[in-house]
Amino acid sequence: MSPPLPDSVPAIRLKGVSFRWPGHPPAVEDVTLEVRQGESLAIIGPNGGGKSTLLRLILGELTPDSGSVEVLGMSPSEARRARRIGYLPQRSAADRTFPVTVRQTVEMAALVGEPPWRRPSAAIRTRVDLALARVNLEDLADRSVAELSGGQFQRTLLARALAVDPPILILDEPTSALDPGAQEQLGEVLARLQSLDGLTLVIVSHDIRAMAAPRSGSEAGRALCDRVACLRRTLHFHDAPEGITPQVLAHVFEHDLSQVFGDVRVLARPTHHRE
Amino acid sequence: MQTLDYLFGPYATMQPAAAAALAVALLCGILSPLVVLRRMAFVGQGISHAAFGGVGVAAVLGLFAAGAGTGALLGAWGVVAVFCIAAGLSIGMLSRRQGIPEDTAIGVLLVASMALGFLLLQMQRGRAGSTSVSVEGFLFGQVATIGPLEAWLAWVVLAVALAALWWIRRPLLFWAFDEPMAESLGIQGGRIRAALMVILAVTVVVTMQLAGVILATAMIVLPGAAALQVARRTSTVLLASLAFGVAGVVVGLVMSFETDWQPGPNIALAYVALFGLARIWNALRR
Repeated sequence: MSPPLPDSVPAIRLKGVSFRWPGHPPAVEDVTLEVRQGESLAIIGPNGGGKSTLLRLILGELTPDSGSVEVLGMSPSEARRARRIGYLPQRSAADRTFPVTVRQTVEMAALVGEPPWRRPSAAIRTRVDLALARVNLEDLADRSVAELSGGQFQRTLLARALAVDPPILILDEPTSALDPGAQEQLGEVLARLQSLDGLTLVIVSHDIRAMAAPRSGSEAGRALCDRVACLRRTLHFHDAPEGITPQVLAHVFEHDLSQVFGDVRVLARPTHHRE
Repeated sequence: MQTLDYLFGPYATMQPAAAAALAVALLCGILSPLVVLRRMAFVGQGISHAAFGGVGVAAVLGLFAAGAGTGALLGAWGVVAVFCIAAGLSIGMLSRRQGIPEDTAIGVLLVASMALGFLLLQMQRGRAGSTSVSVEGFLFGQVATIGPLEAWLAWVVLAVALAALWWIRRPLLFWAFDEPMAESLGIQGGRIRAALMVILAVTVVVTMQLAGVILATAMIVLPGAAALQVARRTSTVLLASLAFGVAGVVVGLVMSFETDWQPGPNIALAYVALFGLARIWNALRR
């Protein structure tokens, strides 16, 4: 593990980032964004609004046409290689018919780069156990992935992303394929990762309610995400003191969403600083 | 029982064939679940048919001629192996770099290699004084021509393939399970794929002596397919696949020895029967 960085280094910093797929209008344009360490940010926006493109720029899978992306002071690909970013894709390519257990799945990531002749060290086994515990899957560790529910499988993949101990976790539509119960469980897990383990979370979602509504349960009253950014090619709203108003949402989604989200007090609370 | 005579009688001629068959069964048993899970059955088919092109070239070079020495025979299998490895790597390259769908790339290579092999064999047959190579033998397997050399080759390939698979087992499992995520964490997917193609290619080379070009796929696909019907854990799937692999070869060879019919179809049908039983067992278990 590399030594901890000073808190002043932002987890993620984008400056004037634009990206255009050849032959298309710009997917994202002049996006400037800073995510502090330990903060949680939701990026919402309509389909085709550039959310996934923005994530891929942060992950280093795409290079911006102009502007710069930094992750913990490094280039995104450096950060990825240094295991500073855990990533949960929207649709995992993982094959659920594969004859592996939950624990094996998590171990796969923890064992990357280990020489073939060495048995998993105690440190690695502890890291795997911890990752399983963080997503509430200790009891299912020896179950084969084919027997899991969708939510359990999603949490298995989350544990795999956590197995390399990344300080930043990036999730692409983590709840979109889950039923409400599983969404709630995943939300609990994510909220705890942020508040207890101090992970920086960036969550792309079109589910404003799940990201920004005050939660019930252990973290009562707190929203999952500290801040919400709306993306439709440009970052339409960010850090405005008045929070996300129905007008902002209507602008982003091109619909009046106050009917849909009227009961949600969406919110950008002032960013809290960690001591 | 002719089987016992062939294996242990005073004129026991089939010992090398049986020894080679055991090695091939173990090799296919280990590899097969991966081939099934990675949806590489048709890739195996493509590689095995590419072997026929190699057979044609080796025949024209006179390497399969009766009376040719061990060196020539080794050379012949070398040519076939080169064809198979080249086919395996080209399938990967065409589909990944040139954007041709994988099944199309296989279709093209398969047909090209079969046609080339067949024409070359006819050319060689047309030559005065040359001994003819049995086309049917290469297509459907020929135990009679499996000598000590082929048996040794099969065991060497098994040992090397096992060592290689053990060496790459962790990245291989991750890559097979979730390629994009494995690559994003630094696993070289291209290298793993290439290594797997080479292992698959040499497996095909030793398998085709027994089962022939056309039916080699049965040995590469069916043990794993049957194992995945009855087992759910990595270790039990591998053990079941090894067991199915050996069982299919034993049943097929015994049927072949008793009837004096070619081993390839007997082995293939034995595997299909085992797969059917595994499937039924899986259906009844629910």
